[in-house]
Amino acid sequence: MAEKFIGKPTRSKEGPRHATGCGHFTDDIVLPGMLQAMILRSPHAHARIVGGDAQSALELPGVMTALIPSDIVAHTKPFKPGRYAAGLRKPIAEYATAVEKVRYMGEPVAAVAARDRGTAEDALELITIDYDALPAVVETADAMKPGSALLYEELESNIAWKGGLSYGDIDGAFKAADKIVKEHLKIHRYSSTPLEPFAIIADYDAASRKLTVWVNAQVPEVIYDALREALELEDIRVIIPDIGGGFGQKIHLIRKYVVIVSLLAIRSGRPVKWIEDRSEHMMAAGHSCAQEFEVEAGVKKDGTVLGLKFREIDDVGGTTSTLTIHFTNKLNNLVNTYKVQNIALEGWSVLTNKCPVIPNRGIGKPGMCYIWERAMDRIAEELGLSPIDVRRINLIRPEQMPYTTPSGNVYDSGDYPGLLETALEKIGYDKLREEQKRARASGRLLGLSVVIGVEPGGRNAARDIAIFPEMKESPGSGGVNGATIKLEKNGTIALYLGSPNCGQSHETTTAQVAADVLGIPPEKISISTPFDSDLAPWGVSAANSGNNFHLYDIGAVHGAATKLKEKILAIAAHILRANPADLRIEDGAVRAPGSPVKKITLAELGKIVYGNQAMLPKGAEAGLQATYYYTFPHAEPNMVPGPDRKVRAQFTFSAAAHAAVVEVDRETGKVHVLRYLIVGDNGTVIHPNVVNGQIYGSAAHGISVALGEGFVYNADGQLLTLTLTDYGKSSTEETPKVEIVHKPSPSPFTTLGQKAAGEGAAIPSPAAIASAVEDALKPLGVKVRDLPLSPERVWNLIQEARR
Amino acid sequence: MKRTISVTINGRRYEEDVEPRQLLPHFLREQIGLTGTHVGCVIGECGACTLLLDGKLVKSCLLFAVQADGKEITTIEGLAKNGALHPVQEAFVEKYGFQCGYCTPGMIMAAHALLQDNSDPSEEEIRRCLAGNLCMCTGYAQIIDSVKEAAKKIKS
Repeated sequence: MAEKFIGKPTRSKEGPRHATGCGHFTDDIVLPGMLQAMILRSPHAHARIVGGDAQSALELPGVMTALIPSDIVAHTKPFKPGRYAAGLRKPIAEYATAVEKVRYMGEPVAAVAARDRGTAEDALELITIDYDALPAVVETADAMKPGSALLYEELESNIAWKGGLSYGDIDGAFKAADKIVKEHLKIHRYSSTPLEPFAIIADYDAASRKLTVWVNAQVPEVIYDALREALELEDIRVIIPDIGGGFGQKIHLIRKYVVIVSLLAIRSGRPVKWIEDRSEHMMAAGHSCAQEFEVEAGVKKDGTVLGLKFREIDDVGGTTSTLTIHFTNKLNNLVNTYKVQNIALEGWSVLTNKCPVIPNRGIGKPGMCYIWERAMDRIAEELGLSPIDVRRINLIRPEQMPYTTPSGNVYDSGDYPGLLETALEKIGYDKLREEQKRARASGRLLGLSVVIGVEPGGRNAARDIAIFPEMKESPGSGGVNGATIKLEKNGTIALYLGSPNCGQSHETTTAQVAADVLGIPPEKISISTPFDSDLAPWGVSAANSGNNFHLYDIGAVHGAATKLKEKILAIAAHILRANPADLRIEDGAVRAPGSPVKKITLAELGKIVYGNQAMLPKGAEAGLQATYYYTFPHAEPNMVPGPDRKVRAQFTFSAAAHAAVVEVDRETGKVHVLRYLIVGDNGTVIHPNVVNGQIYGSAAHGISVALGEGFVYNADGQLLTLTLTDYGKSSTEETPKVEIVHKPSPSPFTTLGQKAAGEGAAIPSPAAIASAVEDALKPLGVKVRDLPLSPERVWNLIQEARR
Repeated sequence: MKRTISVTINGRRYEEDVEPRQLLPHFLREQIGLTGTHVGCVIGECGACTLLLDGKLVKSCLLFAVQADGKEITTIEGLAKNGALHPVQEAFVEKYGFQCGYCTPGMIMAAHALLQDNSDPSEEEIRRCLAGNLCMCTGYAQIIDSVKEAAKKIKS
């Protein structure tokens, strides 16, 4: 395959429609007779539901149907506990709305559908839900106390799950250690707050019992399963138009609303649209988990880490359905870039009266990287070593690749020392240390950090068996996703992808790959949108999550295009009376070498394969279409965990070193990011602008998270950050300029050497900022343990140090 | 009780009956059928609904449709002429100044307004002028590059 387009900045396929306001978002769709839905939410963080009445709402002219908890119980089934709830001691029935109790402010309790938005809003005020308020349990420390109010009485504790895993000989490692370094760390609740909130349209054809939903969901399977489980429907079509940002937010809790809106559509006999508003999104669409870590590292005097153990306490909020995701994801980057052989982890999932936790850009991986990188700095400090040297001595070496980690991950490729050294060189580390000395002498608080992290890509569905070997229902294993490609009658190419996308330029990138395989320019390839579960060749990996695209979708498109090319050449060879191996596709035609007449255009071929049987080889399949379902060919060993609990949590490993230079304003506590540099290994870069865009965006988010964006609850469990301004989202003014250097180590296992780029810089950046701020505050003896480093927290750290 | 308003949108005059409580972006999207103006917050903090009202940059979610009576509106759909992208739109496409596309129309309208006032903005000026338009995907880097590129295109 000649690489004419892969690696080049080809023109965007998605750009023109978005730049002209012609993107196809769910809220842009209007169906005849469509109603507008509104959701009623709990004002309480914790309360028993003792009654409900929607009669007055139903009497309002224009209102077509309404739902209260008793309707949900009567007409739907609870969701099956999915893999995220695999560790639950007792099954907990979770319905689309709260039914007996509300457990977080904003939990949906009722819904209404009316002929217009205004009427639906008015009707919400006429629905009565009666509550008996209960004490709110907001902090995990309080939730774990005996005698604390219980969210789920049947669990007899708010600690909904406890479990652990150990690899290697952790006791031996700690016995052999010269020193045990301990640290206590915290990461707060945040979100990526996609600009487009949840958006759903449901349309039920009662005659054929077929339900069609348009929804901006990242994972079609979650929606598909939710509708089957809750509404017991079989014929379901999930259409996913353009998604206005996902980041994990639109994977899980959106299923509740799909069920509510679908039930409104079924009961009213009309299509129903529901568009979430911003404050609803902030209070109930899901938060990344607040995580607390007790970390211990057993180290040798030279800084070598012999063993690491940590206990994690996760504040999972008010439902049990995503109980363990932040803990289980620790398996994905458990040893980060380090060659440690002994590691033990223990997780506690604690229920609180807060918004449920959901996946968010990397899920638990930013936390795992935070553990390692904060530990590295602490080890250096306690041993009197340079933090760079401590990292150097522990890094996995390039000559050890492919490298199997103690938990069974197989790192495909990477030059971690090279990334680190390049970051030091490009940021001008030694010079900056000199500058820092001068700055400190004049009282300025200048800080510098270099951290490193892996970015896993391509999910293995079997991962959680390592943690829950007793799982009753198999979560599957490895991954599958497909693509379909077709030569149209007129010689153009149509491509159907197996997964939706929410802004990662899947159309542009897959066109590049198909173009190179087929020898056709990308502008001749049309990618079919939206994602439609009736047509798309989708499997378990059809998810805009898990950094799946680069592995499964690129693999599937490459496979489908290769199959199509073989078919084209076989039919063209028959028509041209040539050997298929001698033919090539060039300038829209299949040509025989050295013969200007021996050619057939793709348009001529299109006409033949769809309409001229006599010209086709006898017995050959007519048409020119190919579907290819990709599975990762190097998924063994450790695809399905055995008794040793070793598992490939993900299949490819990008990596990056991040260097940050910050200055802290002593008077206000505000942290200014003066420079931020990333040296990244994303394997073969298919489209530089697209990959850079992912790096810039994920870095901006991680930095903003570290510096203050986040959710704040009061002691009653009321969310105080209901707007983007209160939440503290960074604008162009706060977001620092990020410098990117590429230092790729192509994967030996993937189709083109490509690796992941989507979660990217969100993983190491919180650690980079924490490390740099601690370095800035070093003259004051401040230790940075907790995020976020908002001006208030930094100011308080400075004041505490002065005391 | 509906009220009749008269409004010029992208050069075309409309007389429409609207409910007093209808927000301007909902009027444009649902009644006029111009869905390029997006809604991300309805309280004027995200900028997705940014457009020009009598030539001035506004966040349309802070206005009711009735407040546009007698006024001229330019939305994202009013920038491209005869199928040719406006230089600001072209620059955003070329420089990948978008990802999911949801903030893009508002961002382009804000950039367009900036470049009408200041044909050669510094990076600092670009950052200040776009601070009312949030983007959750890009980290703004390629948006800022796009605005710089647009300035170049307009000058040439």
